[in-house]
Amino acid sequence: MTVEILAQRNARPGRDEEVDVVIVGAGPSGSVAALHLARAGISVVVLEQGEWPDYDDYTGARPEHELVSTKLWHPNPNVRDSPNDYPVDTSTTDINPLMFAGVGGSATLYGAQWMHFLPSDFRVRSMDGVAEDWPFTYEDLLPYQLEIEREVGVSGLSGDPAFPPRGAYPFPALPMGSVGLRGALGMEKMGWHWWPGSNAIPSEKFGELNPCVRRGTCLTGCPEGAKSTTDRSHWPLALKAGARLITRARVKEVETNDQGLATGVVYIDANGRERRQRAKVVILCANGVGTPRLLLMSGGSRNPHGLANSSGMVGKRLMMHPFASVLASYEDPLDSWRGPFGQQVYSLEFYETDESRGFVRGSKWNCMPSGGPVGVSGATGSKVYVAEEGRFQDFWGANLHENVARRFGHSLIWGIVGEDLPEESNQVVLSKDLVDSDGLPAPQIVYKVNENSNRLLQFNIDRCLESVRAAGAIETLVSTPVRESGWHLIGTTVMGGDPKRSVVDQWGACHDVPNLYVMDASTFPTSGATNPTATIMAVALRNTHRMIAERRNQKVA
Amino acid sequence: MAKEQVFFALADFLIPAHGKMPKFSDVCAYADVEKSLDFRIDLKEGFARAIATDPSTGAEAHLEKINKQDGEAFSAITTIAIATYYMNPRVRELIGYPGQENVQYDSKATQIYLTNGSLGHVIARGRKYRPTPGL
Repeated sequence: MTVEILAQRNARPGRDEEVDVVIVGAGPSGSVAALHLARAGISVVVLEQGEWPDYDDYTGARPEHELVSTKLWHPNPNVRDSPNDYPVDTSTTDINPLMFAGVGGSATLYGAQWMHFLPSDFRVRSMDGVAEDWPFTYEDLLPYQLEIEREVGVSGLSGDPAFPPRGAYPFPALPMGSVGLRGALGMEKMGWHWWPGSNAIPSEKFGELNPCVRRGTCLTGCPEGAKSTTDRSHWPLALKAGARLITRARVKEVETNDQGLATGVVYIDANGRERRQRAKVVILCANGVGTPRLLLMSGGSRNPHGLANSSGMVGKRLMMHPFASVLASYEDPLDSWRGPFGQQVYSLEFYETDESRGFVRGSKWNCMPSGGPVGVSGATGSKVYVAEEGRFQDFWGANLHENVARRFGHSLIWGIVGEDLPEESNQVVLSKDLVDSDGLPAPQIVYKVNENSNRLLQFNIDRCLESVRAAGAIETLVSTPVRESGWHLIGTTVMGGDPKRSVVDQWGACHDVPNLYVMDASTFPTSGATNPTATIMAVALRNTHRMIAERRNQKVA
Repeated sequence: MAKEQVFFALADFLIPAHGKMPKFSDVCAYADVEKSLDFRIDLKEGFARAIATDPSTGAEAHLEKINKQDGEAFSAITTIAIATYYMNPRVRELIGYPGQENVQYDSKATQIYLTNGSLGHVIARGRKYRPTPGL
């Protein structure tokens, strides 16, 4: 039975039907919760504002790929301008938030870089005197990390000395192309840490996932169905277990009763009609921008500052991982259009705090191919490597041919992800002017890259230049901080033990509304410096297991 | 000057012949340009503005003017020009680009970093993480 048939069979609940759990968002965290709750016999409805992906729409294998993907598959919803997206007011941010609405969520456009947080990420206050410790430890989360890896189909090589010992990955690491080998060479010459990339891309057939063929178009949707996204890894199983999924359903409000307990949600369906889904428990999995937006829209007269916001922390402490990139070109060919795109090699050499560097916390580097000729030309589309004061002639005419000849097929990119420290001034608020296609207020991002991040990025760029030059780079191009880099949306409904300083407890339950949960990266007290999807899914799994175990003690309306 | 001629004049300035590489109009027909615009209908208005007037002052001055006065039009015409050029099979052959290709491999093959000692050096340098027992 196909996923499509299952999806049709699992019909929309009746008008007054109350389900056990309604989940907002069918991305990584919502999908994990839906699968495990449904398997436990709990009735689940998931509301997703986007649609099922159509793999024929992914253009990676077609000649027009570079032309189409810079619009249709752009990670910035304001550029993509799809009816399934809501717009974001980015007039007050240094970094644009990136996201995608659909079954599979923003992972539809992720690089599938699969990284655990490190032990120190959970103990930042204790070890470095900044931000807050998490309510649980690396060791507490590790079993869930390993369980999720088996569900996702991760490929990688265990034994990395940058992590505590762990079990084997489900699949062997993807082949390291010439790009990865050259990146590793530079690190080796410097005597620095590197390791073969771990990716949420199985190197062998796994369930609905096909083996990766190194097409290198992960960031614009995988036409092979090889990159692990939950429309393939989780939803076929969740639908079989009885979960119901309603697409093109935009939730506008979480409703509560006089006792302050959640009673369900109101959403706008594909036909523009307002509907109500009653539920004993509500789980928000709408990402670090969408989740606080929904809470802020849900206050009503009883909560004029937003639902679950007695702490005043809803929307605050937004972290987006300031990002820098270094493109390095070499004389010899690297076949640098070939994947895997996400990370052929990563480095955690500068991950931990060293106060002599002038900043706290650290970074993760990942080595990626540089892609097709249009992208590496620097001439159009992304302005990543084009200075504002640059003349257009620098990128056109004979310069275009020479730039492409030097870079295309001969270059790699090191991406540098810096830990973003939480600051209450960096936040998601509701726009006073901008609305989505249903007239709901758009989120506005208020965000400044702080001094710690600027110092961190500059230090790492300087080190990265040393590494690529040690490996023979003949040209380097740096961009920092990259404006279109807010892939990781973290921290806006922070978890903690003190209801006056946090929004949810360590299990994702709102202090103010005990049957309202948040299970996306909004709850993370700190951001780490690694790609967060592995941790998002593991924390969602931990919370879900707890919810199932404690189902008889759950307070409901 | 016909709109097609205006476009080719601008495109050939942006992408001239250079070394082994042909100029735009040597390899791309206007039908190719229209096909590209069909993929990106969002660029059609800006593209039309960019070629609405004759570049009487020359292609470079005309592009300079568009770049300063109508960034959307400049972005449209340059995006269509470069994408159309690098979609051309002859151009791809000249730069050695097969497109985003399917590459077969043996997932169980031993990787070179496991046999040449390079990963062994990383392991030999020892633990990198900071343990957090009791914290």
